[in-house]
Amino acid sequence: MSDLAALVVQQSVNGVYLGCLYVMVALGLTLIYGVLNQINFAHADFVTVGAFAAFFTATRFATRVLGLPDAGAYLLSLIVALGVGALLGLAVNAAVFAPLRRGDELRPLIATIGVSVLLENFQLWLFGPIPYQFDSPFSRETIRIGRIFFTAQSVLVVAVSAASIAALYAFMRFTFLGKALRAVAQDRETAGLMGINPNLLIALTIVIASALAGMAGALLGPVLVLTPFAGATVIVKAFAIVIIGGFGNMQGTILAGILVGIIEAFTVQYLGSGLIDLVVFVLLLVMLVLRPTGLIAERKEENV
Amino acid sequence: MKPVLRTAIAAFAAAIAFSAFAQERVIRIGVLMPISGPGSYFGVMGKEGIELAMEQVAKNPINGYRLQVQYEDSACSPLQATNAVKRVLDQFKPHIVVGEECSDASLAIAPILDQAKVPMLNAGSVTMKLTESGYKYVFRIFPNAEQQSLPLANVAYKTLKARTAVILHEKTNAGSDNADGFEKPFVAMGGKVLAKIDFSRDVNDFTAIATRIASLGKVDVLPTFALEGQTVRLSQALAQARVVKGGGGNAVQMGSIWLPYGYDQKAGQASEGYVRIVQFDPSEKRAMVQSFVKAFNAKYGADKVPTHINAHAYDTILVIADAVRRGATDSESMRDRLSKTKDLEVTTGRITFDAKGQNSDLSVVHFVETQKDLSWKGMSWQ
Repeated sequence: MSDLAALVVQQSVNGVYLGCLYVMVALGLTLIYGVLNQINFAHADFVTVGAFAAFFTATRFATRVLGLPDAGAYLLSLIVALGVGALLGLAVNAAVFAPLRRGDELRPLIATIGVSVLLENFQLWLFGPIPYQFDSPFSRETIRIGRIFFTAQSVLVVAVSAASIAALYAFMRFTFLGKALRAVAQDRETAGLMGINPNLLIALTIVIASALAGMAGALLGPVLVLTPFAGATVIVKAFAIVIIGGFGNMQGTILAGILVGIIEAFTVQYLGSGLIDLVVFVLLLVMLVLRPTGLIAERKEENV
Repeated sequence: MKPVLRTAIAAFAAAIAFSAFAQERVIRIGVLMPISGPGSYFGVMGKEGIELAMEQVAKNPINGYRLQVQYEDSACSPLQATNAVKRVLDQFKPHIVVGEECSDASLAIAPILDQAKVPMLNAGSVTMKLTESGYKYVFRIFPNAEQQSLPLANVAYKTLKARTAVILHEKTNAGSDNADGFEKPFVAMGGKVLAKIDFSRDVNDFTAIATRIASLGKVDVLPTFALEGQTVRLSQALAQARVVKGGGGNAVQMGSIWLPYGYDQKAGQASEGYVRIVQFDPSEKRAMVQSFVKAFNAKYGADKVPTHINAHAYDTILVIADAVRRGATDSESMRDRLSKTKDLEVTTGRITFDAKGQNSDLSVVHFVETQKDLSWKGMSWQ
């Protein structure tokens, strides 16, 4: 393989890995927007909560209490983060989002900002501001195929992202609840008239999105500088991805996430890492002008 | 009790109280630290250092003056620091302000304090502009970018025989100044900078950057100017790409005083061979350092090793106490006494301010190299 070819393949591999991390964060955002037409500004903090849940499970509970090996402890931490995310989503929806949904549309939106500040400061109080060092045992294992290298963690991230996307897609397409969710996304009132409980399905959407955020936190933990503000470093990019992909459009979000990851990797190689944000946000503006509905042409009934 | 007697007793008590109030002489120290936001670990460590110093140094009045501290959250942000300094000036009326840690925030508050004629004592910013802009009330005990980068360039070229470098730095005033401070002398000596790679503080994954560096050919040294969290991830990515010694490559990653003690343990094997300058070294044999470490452990736990952030913050109080001891009673005399500070021993070395308010004594700054077991090996380079 020539030097250039090896470089292109290597940066593509780096980009796909990064893109999958973005997709995991962006999926929950797009899911909530697709069903509720609402932006969740607290999503970043759900990611951070997931990262901390995974950190304490992997480095304390699973290894010290259960005596699991490092790899097993980290895999368990993914599941715990998923569960913690789901529980947090359930609690926040019941305590804040659901009661406020009865008023105008602006209130739940403002509430997400409030929840974000609350979670951030609660974590700051609980965990302190000094960065935690969260290393996955899979990050330490470098796989080399010819001149191409990647870590076992990258493989895990791609595999978990693919599995999550497949599970979400299957849930939406083939289960009654998934179909009901799509119905609520299309027309909440009519879905209600058909015997579907929109509030229950909205709660379910928030739980699924939060669980995905928790899992994303566990996957991102070994990449992030883990502090109570960690999620904020990826959320702006995730919002950009959701807009580029088309708000509420799952396929578009996946495509946009991978695309942004690859564009970032090649920007670093050929333009400079300092220009990453510029390139991504120029792309965002171009998309808004040329294709405001997102990468994949939107058909309302196919949202979520 | 007769009304006349009651009135007399009340008047006497009031007079005593008033006289005690009037006699209580205080030096007010405003402290601007990032207590919230991503830079808040600076604030936490800084506060630990200041509180320890207040317990030890300021427990008794100095020259009849008690030191009083008020913290304000400046969040490492120019906007919040500006608001915080205006608030502290307006409400607390400090005789001196300690802070900020981040260069961008320090640059925002320096002109305000200079105009208010309140001395600013900085212990964590490296940007050259802070002491090169002609402010008369700005003092800094932390080595500036040139003081940190020049020895790195010298050691890279002369001692390590490096001829090619890739400079990695965060996109801030501090990062850019440090990068320039390395590049100019290194190039002047005959070295070649293959790339200057900057990145914002929200970059998490450094694999693409490491891949780019690996594609640049033979790189001898990688001077790195970033906060600890990003440096750890960067070192790990460079090791995976087999660029640095810790990953089986040949390049030596180099760093500055920015990096707190403990980086090596966090980065693991990737940090092997990392060369950096340190100013505060908890293992230094000087009595002052060892007594500080002992007191720090007693207050915050035996397993907690103080970092340079703890030590620099601690030293600010020592510097102020020394100025008060030499007759500082208000902002103006504080500025005057600070400007005459000479050869004052503190935990991070010795302080002698030059005409620009910059500490010029770098006698304890030295190089260390991270060993295979992640311990530090002191080098004799200067």
